[in-house]
Amino acid sequence: MKHEIRDEKDAIVVALEGDVDLQSSPDARKVLLDCVGRKRPVLVDLSAVGYIDSSGVASLVESLQIARKSGNTLVLVAVSEGAMRVLQLARLDKVFTICDTVEDGLKQVRR
Amino acid sequence: MAKRQSVNASDTPLPAGGGGGQAGHQIYDHLELLAAMGQDFASSLDIEASLKRAIQHITEYVDAEGGALFLLDETGETLKCHACEGPSEITGLTLRCDQGIVGRCVQNDIGEIVRDVTKDPGFHAGVDEQTGYTTRSILCAPMRVKDQRIGAIELINKRGGDGLFEESDLHLLQAMSASAALAIHNARQAEALVEQERIARELELAAEIQRSLLPEAGEDDYPVAGVNHAARTVSGDFYDFFPLDDGRICFTLGDVSGKGMNAALMMAKTTSLYRCLGKTVRQPGRLMARINAEICETATRGMFVTMVGGIYDPSTGIVRFANAGHEPPLFHDAEGNFHALPAEAPPLGISPALVDGLEFPETELKLDGGALYIFTDGVTEGYLEDGRELEVGGLKRLIRENAALNVKGKLDAVIDCVDRGDAALRDDLTLLAIDDAVPLDLRAAGGSVVVVKTPQDTLKAAEEGEVLLSLTVPSQADRLKLIRNAVSETARFCGCDKDVSRDIVIAVDEACQNVIRHAYGGSPNGEIVLEIIRRSDALVFLLRDFAESIDVSSVKPRDLDDIKPGGLGTHFMREVMDDVRFMPTPADGGNLLRMVKKLPKGPDNET
Repeated sequence: MKHEIRDEKDAIVVALEGDVDLQSSPDARKVLLDCVGRKRPVLVDLSAVGYIDSSGVASLVESLQIARKSGNTLVLVAVSEGAMRVLQLARLDKVFTICDTVEDGLKQVRR
Repeated sequence: MAKRQSVNASDTPLPAGGGGGQAGHQIYDHLELLAAMGQDFASSLDIEASLKRAIQHITEYVDAEGGALFLLDETGETLKCHACEGPSEITGLTLRCDQGIVGRCVQNDIGEIVRDVTKDPGFHAGVDEQTGYTTRSILCAPMRVKDQRIGAIELINKRGGDGLFEESDLHLLQAMSASAALAIHNARQAEALVEQERIARELELAAEIQRSLLPEAGEDDYPVAGVNHAARTVSGDFYDFFPLDDGRICFTLGDVSGKGMNAALMMAKTTSLYRCLGKTVRQPGRLMARINAEICETATRGMFVTMVGGIYDPSTGIVRFANAGHEPPLFHDAEGNFHALPAEAPPLGISPALVDGLEFPETELKLDGGALYIFTDGVTEGYLEDGRELEVGGLKRLIRENAALNVKGKLDAVIDCVDRGDAALRDDLTLLAIDDAVPLDLRAAGGSVVVVKTPQDTLKAAEEGEVLLSLTVPSQADRLKLIRNAVSETARFCGCDKDVSRDIVIAVDEACQNVIRHAYGGSPNGEIVLEIIRRSDALVFLLRDFAESIDVSSVKPRDLDDIKPGGLGTHFMREVMDDVRFMPTPADGGNLLRMVKKLPKGPDNET
């Protein structure tokens, strides 16, 4: 799994790429916690995530909880089909704020 | 071309020849010759060599130019020269049993002196014509033991004097023929005895192998037991039972038509087929049809097999079986009533076409604490002490009388009544019983599954269907991608669409990471075995590990209102799959998880 963090004006955009599974989710978790630790809105770009498992979803949930505690938001953007299915199975698709594109996400955090 | 060679072929010193000595000396020599011949036959391992020495001694002793010893072959139609002495070598010569003077002698069982063969119409001149030797006179005495004709000894052309045999020569030859006959008879019997012993040894070996084909008795409270007593060394009956890895018990009992070695070989074949196919073909009716087809394909000499084969589930008390022309099994219900369950199909090995379709009809029965008895007619037709047959009535009585005993005890009680050890059995005795009493108690006590431990060759043993994929990987997180790709491809291969395939991948991936994280506690040295089996309507995923058995009750899907990561994977598995369950702990430890995903109906996934 690879990742890329971009500092946008209104949010930190972190793009994960590849499979987020038992092998890579500890890395994904570190990256996500690092982002939400910056106390700014975070957009997680999942467009290039082919597969995400329960441990990856757990890292997202943990990050969301931390972001909310500090009064920030965490938005999932451009969620790939595969990742979306896992979120649906976990019935977390209503828990997360999900936007179709990074632009939509940025608009969302500006509200 | 008279020969005067030494005749001391054996170690025994032989008396000097001479028919014309003093009477006392003659008898003494005669006895000595007989004794020497007897000794030679007794100590020799080679009858032909002893015959050769005997004819030398006799020819020498009676002082003839030549001699020949003829034996009747086993058909009694042909006389064959087995040994000869003198100018013409005719060993191996055969005559019809009524040919020549020797033939007549054997036929009439009377010794003869023919002083001038040219005047005897029975003389067979063929030999002289071939050898160029001139036969003038013949002395011939038959050999027999009791009523059994063995052959004759013929002497040719007396030496010295007027060249004619005398009455005293005939007496002498008759005495020696009788002695030789006895010796030959004894030697043949000894040979037959050796052969019989060899056959007996081989039969004993065959019986030992056959006994090893029967299953070992289970523990005292094991619900299935069988017993087999062979009427002869080997048996045409058989029974077998063996646990399946899902806790059920596969059983059979059968009877091959006929007795003896051919029936025993057929038994070995049938029981091997049953044991081999029974582990994968889990429907008794289909299993019997398969065995029937196999036996018909290589049918021999009109042999056939009557047989009951089925599966008993100790966790439910349900028995399902097919009966191919066998004696009706007896169901003894928990209230003490008997029910006979007659065959609905012909015996195996008669015709593959006798059975409609691909399956023998099956009977399903809930034992509910009762017992099922399957037996061969050797039991019901066995003789009781008073000489009457046991019959089905007697069998029922014995079962009732011994109700307090365990299943093995009941069978032994029946067998003891028919096989009391005091007389040969009329027929092989074979009995098999399935007693649901103990499993019923276990079920009543809340133990819903009686786990019968069995070694597992493959995970697939419990499943009907085709193994599409079998993967063994170490318990390492970086191998999960391999598994996901393989599972995804397999699902697509079976006609699952993208979405369904993706769901399946999620469930299998989660199951695998549960094994890595929980069963093996993160250790990378464990082993994970995944098998994907395609059935006509579903895909079955078997996931096996070899870690310590986990407490199944602790594996629960999480409550979704409580958003915590733990248990999410299990929730995915249950959400995606139509059935997720842990199977009974395999005999060699570890855990076996079974997940079933129904295949969508459609033209693409017809199998």
